[in-house]
Amino acid sequence: MSKAGERQQVTRPRGARQQSVETQAQWQAWSRHHRAMCSDSLRRLVKQPVGSLLTMLAIAIALVLPSALWLTLDSARLVSAELDASATLTAYLESRVDEGEAGRIQQALEAQPDIAATRLITASEGMEEFQQALGLEDALARLDTNPLPATVVITPTDPLPEKMRALAERLGEMSGVEEVRLDLAWVERLRQLTEVGRRVTFALAVLFGLGVLLVVGNTIRLAVENRRKEIEVVTLIGATHAFVRRPFLYSGAWYGMGGGLIALLLLTLGSDWLATPVAALAESYGAHYTLPNLGLVGSTTLLSCSTILGWLGAWIAVSRHLAGIKPR
Amino acid sequence: MIEFDNVGKRYGGRFDALAHLSFRIERGEMVFLTGHSGAGKSSLLRLVMRLERPSRGRVLVAGHDIDRLHHSQLPFYRRQIGVVFQDHQLLFDRSIYHNVALPLEIRGLSPRDTARRVRAALDKVGLLHREKALPIELSGGEQQRVGIARAVVNKPSLLLADEPTGNLDPQLSADIMALFEDFHHIGTTVMIASHDLALIARLRHRTLRLRDGRLVADEEGA
Repeated sequence: MSKAGERQQVTRPRGARQQSVETQAQWQAWSRHHRAMCSDSLRRLVKQPVGSLLTMLAIAIALVLPSALWLTLDSARLVSAELDASATLTAYLESRVDEGEAGRIQQALEAQPDIAATRLITASEGMEEFQQALGLEDALARLDTNPLPATVVITPTDPLPEKMRALAERLGEMSGVEEVRLDLAWVERLRQLTEVGRRVTFALAVLFGLGVLLVVGNTIRLAVENRRKEIEVVTLIGATHAFVRRPFLYSGAWYGMGGGLIALLLLTLGSDWLATPVAALAESYGAHYTLPNLGLVGSTTLLSCSTILGWLGAWIAVSRHLAGIKPR
Repeated sequence: MIEFDNVGKRYGGRFDALAHLSFRIERGEMVFLTGHSGAGKSSLLRLVMRLERPSRGRVLVAGHDIDRLHHSQLPFYRRQIGVVFQDHQLLFDRSIYHNVALPLEIRGLSPRDTARRVRAALDKVGLLHREKALPIELSGGEQQRVGIARAVVNKPSLLLADEPTGNLDPQLSADIMALFEDFHHIGTTVMIASHDLALIARLRHRTLRLRDGRLVADEEGA
């Protein structure tokens, strides 16, 4: 009366070799059933194309919104990274400082560990830039002396607002430095906006992930109900819970994967549809901007997440309902 | 093989389906279980299959107190028992072959071994030529034979049957009983619940008679 009833007819004791043969046979049986259920569940899905497609579409819609938000946020992150790189301090030197001293101050600044780069704009260079920018050559030429101070544009190693503020305060006390200016308000605003967006996306992703679980769970619940008799019979003749659960888990995974694929398709179509107007808009601001896409890593992540969510939804639904199904 | 030790089964706290039930069935025996409907025949079989647990007393199968089986051991316990139901519990969405193959699929036999055993079982019940048919295409008697093939395909050491001839005419009933006797002859322990007293009397096997959940007679066969 053992699992391998036939093998007990062998008279010699069961040695390690037989044990391993048995383990191997069990593993083969296990993987055989997995393969069978994997294709069987797919066949069942294909047999009811409309119902399956509707379920997958529901999953896809639940996945598209957080994915699109994430993409938008990702591009915002790129923009803000660029901004970080361009976040600079401007040190206005005292007007008494001549060009030689300005150069020394620049070198002293450059030597500081929390300063990545510096650029000196001498008084005369500043005048030139100013003239070019304003087109006031004649008016400015009439001035006897150059009223502009020399300035040093400083790129810090760490663009964090607090660090930059501290750096500005310290530099302001250096001799020869009149004033240090930094305009952080809008950099900070953008950063906070990105943080808000990140949290909103996260919350939405959790909610919509739950949505996917519910959609798959409900579909699988109906499938379990439809196959109730089968579940009762196989339980009666010795099927384990894992055996009963397996086809439904594969169905759930297929639903998730199908939903993920449709979501990818929708995202691609959507970004294609938006690409032309977005590019035109960017161009009108004199910027070059292309819509971000998920790429290989993003697509793989989306597909894996949706497949796992489908599997999980099925697991929860089947486990909940198996408890209620008792063989009669 | 089966031992009931002062077993009682009470439903809903008031109704005693079985009470003070003690008997012993040896390995390889063939036993009939009779009584009016409601006498407790099905309850007794359900206890043996461990679909229900006794309210009192012990049920031993192959020397083990099956009440002590852990939830996770139940599937493996049930695989050792072949069960034939009055309504045969066939799955109507698959062929006769796949119905009979079900216990072997659950056990994880290779397709080749499965085919060999399924055909042997179908041959035994005389339905080898119908293996591709769907259950709905078969007569009641044939469906019952498929149910028997499914119960024995796993070569169980214990075969239980609950009213296996319930809806069949006398000739078909006799054929079905002859099949059970064949399994008894190759050493399988067989326990059949039936109220077909005339048929039971003719077959001359040990008979346990239940009335209102109590054992009122234990008659040895000839």
